[in-house]
Amino acid sequence: MGRKRNLSEDGGREDEEEKPMKERRVKEKQEGRESMRPSMIKNKEKRAAVHAKLKQQKKVEKRKKVKAREAAEKKALELGEEPPPKMVPRTIENTRESDETVCLPDDEELFAGNDVDEFSAVLKNERSPKILITTSRYNSTRGPAFISDLISVIPNAHYYKRGTYDLKKIVQYANEKEFTSVIVVHTNRREPDALLVIGLPDGPTAHFKLSKLMLRKDIKNHGKPTSHKPELVLTNFTTRLGHRVGRMIQSLFPQDPEFRGRRVVTFHNQRDFIFFRHHRYIFETKESKQKESKGKKSKDEKNPPERTIARLQECGPRFTLKLISLQHGTFDTKGGEYEWVHKPEMDTSRRRFFL
Amino acid sequence: MPRTTTVESSGCPPLRALTFDILGLIKVVEAKGEQKEAPKVVEKWGEPDASRCVLAASLVDREFDPLLGVARKSGKIEVLSPVNGDVRASISIESQNHPGSADNSIVGLHLFKGERLGSSSRSCNLLTCTSKGQANMTYVKMSKSLEDSGGESTQTTWNVCGSGSILCSKVDADESYALFGGKGVEVNIWDLNQCAKVWSAKSPAKNSLGIFTPTWFTSATFLCKDDHRKFVAGTNSHQVRLYDISAQRRPVVSFDFRETPIKAVAEDVDGHTIYIGNGSGDLASFDIRTGQLLGSFLGKCSGSIRSIVKHPELPVIASCGLDSYLRIWDVKSRQLLSAVFLKQHLNSVVFDSKFSTREAQVPPQQQDTYEALQTEEEEEKTVKRKKASKEHSGSKKLKTKKKSKRSKGDGNDIA
Repeated sequence: MGRKRNLSEDGGREDEEEKPMKERRVKEKQEGRESMRPSMIKNKEKRAAVHAKLKQQKKVEKRKKVKAREAAEKKALELGEEPPPKMVPRTIENTRESDETVCLPDDEELFAGNDVDEFSAVLKNERSPKILITTSRYNSTRGPAFISDLISVIPNAHYYKRGTYDLKKIVQYANEKEFTSVIVVHTNRREPDALLVIGLPDGPTAHFKLSKLMLRKDIKNHGKPTSHKPELVLTNFTTRLGHRVGRMIQSLFPQDPEFRGRRVVTFHNQRDFIFFRHHRYIFETKESKQKESKGKKSKDEKNPPERTIARLQECGPRFTLKLISLQHGTFDTKGGEYEWVHKPEMDTSRRRFFL
Repeated sequence: MPRTTTVESSGCPPLRALTFDILGLIKVVEAKGEQKEAPKVVEKWGEPDASRCVLAASLVDREFDPLLGVARKSGKIEVLSPVNGDVRASISIESQNHPGSADNSIVGLHLFKGERLGSSSRSCNLLTCTSKGQANMTYVKMSKSLEDSGGESTQTTWNVCGSGSILCSKVDADESYALFGGKGVEVNIWDLNQCAKVWSAKSPAKNSLGIFTPTWFTSATFLCKDDHRKFVAGTNSHQVRLYDISAQRRPVVSFDFRETPIKAVAEDVDGHTIYIGNGSGDLASFDIRTGQLLGSFLGKCSGSIRSIVKHPELPVIASCGLDSYLRIWDVKSRQLLSAVFLKQHLNSVVFDSKFSTREAQVPPQQQDTYEALQTEEEEEKTVKRKKASKEHSGSKKLKTKKKSKRSKGDGNDIA
């Protein structure tokens, strides 16, 4: 009971002016700072009041801090000094656990390895990529829609009905027809949930989990892509494994983009998730606002100053991939050797990434 | 709850391991000193070239004049000195057998320690086996210079199997018997002195559902040093089998291990512990007498294990494979002692156990100079990294210097 009264007193004390009472201070110290937490107050109204007050205080403090920082910056600028260093927020990515497998730009062995790996024939333009897209045994609604979107994204991709063929048979067939990759869209409960990318003739097999799929027709204000060969953006594939996966993705697309088409396909890796986006961009010239007013003043100038801005329009599907396994050789679940498999004991930290 | 484990590399005892990768590079990893330092890549031999991809390697591990045999993808077999990487001899097997057959690559290589066909320090004997089943015993004369090497070699060739493809071959400790097995080939044992088949296994019976699993051996090893009659084989259908020649043609003990094919089997010196590595990177030790799991080697091993070796003296094993790490494990505690990242997919690893005694043979003065040279060399390395090829040739020179000193030292010893 005594405690309760104490707390309510605490709550009340906030409103009062602080009295330098020795007894109270001592008591507070004995109880520790926890007694100050508003969540310990049981009366809801009081609690809400205290909480709001605390929040307000924090807000004011933060604003003060920001103002002080801005002032310091301004002052430094006026004095011509170096502005105080900008604070960089700590994120999971930039506090990533150091990894020795990260590729370095001066690694000769890496380049020598790249020259002879399975994708080099396609990436050196010796073979043009030709993709076979097929599905899992059962396939309905979102699966075919996703595949038709994929076909519009990847040039020279051909859809083949799965039928009842074994995947190994399909790989054999694709090899004979000189395809360079096979993509299998796996559907579960009418929703595509996995992607299997098989390099041919002896390239690795990557198994991705597919999530957050948004089809083209579900994207608001989506554009309609042209049939030009797209540009490809691969970001953040840093480690050896990431490098390999990146090269594998690269080998799906032709290596000579047609810049006229202004189409970009992005594979962005962040925390081991690979985000896929497909955009159309345009450079527009626009009269800049600041100089507009000037232009009005002196109207006799023939061409008012312009600036170019890039505008993006999203088209095509949007989805996220996560690598589950990378298998050496073509698809073989029973006898295959894995280059990388995700195992639960590898998740030792949330700051450890593999791509 | 965040799962945080701090894996402390407790350091490994002084050892020297040689790894072979798909670009044909041979990397020497050494852990030195009593301070239990982490092992480092000390030397790198060869230039990256995919056609020189190492398929098999074998080491004659002895104090005086050790030899290292390396089978390349191009069909060449090189005999090197594991001390400094000098090529002592190089012969070509493929051209003599099957010109133009691409899939007839070498799968097994063994370098004989003992005397055979009057071998001396200037020559050695090799047993190679190709995937088509051509076993080949070659007698190679070595010379100091590369030019006149490979000129004299006598060969005996025989066929191990009619069909199927050989995937594993091993020679027992006495070097008088060899075993071969593979896809569609039951394990068979050959007497190397007579070149005659001694024994062949019989496939296990159909299971209760009447399903027959096709024969597909992926790895095999003889169980103990002094007995050629017992051996362990791993199959593609993730089964490990113990065969006893003197008992029966079917496996004595067989058990399953996980769900991916067994890719590497290694024996311990005690004669009953075996180490098994599989296609998804699981490594475990078994007591083969009972078929019981002794324990798994847990670590962040994520790629298929291609090769496991036990150190002949220390309680340490090394594993390597497609995750391009050389991992060194303690056998007793099954803890990871250290992992070295070696950049390429690794095909095999060997331990050079006598290196410490060899180093001790070098008189202290010369060793000091050698170390001074080495430190200089390391400084050079840091300064000009980009000129690795130049630097490499320089290091070779240094090594040859050292070698000549060593031979001098040997001479003194003999005197």
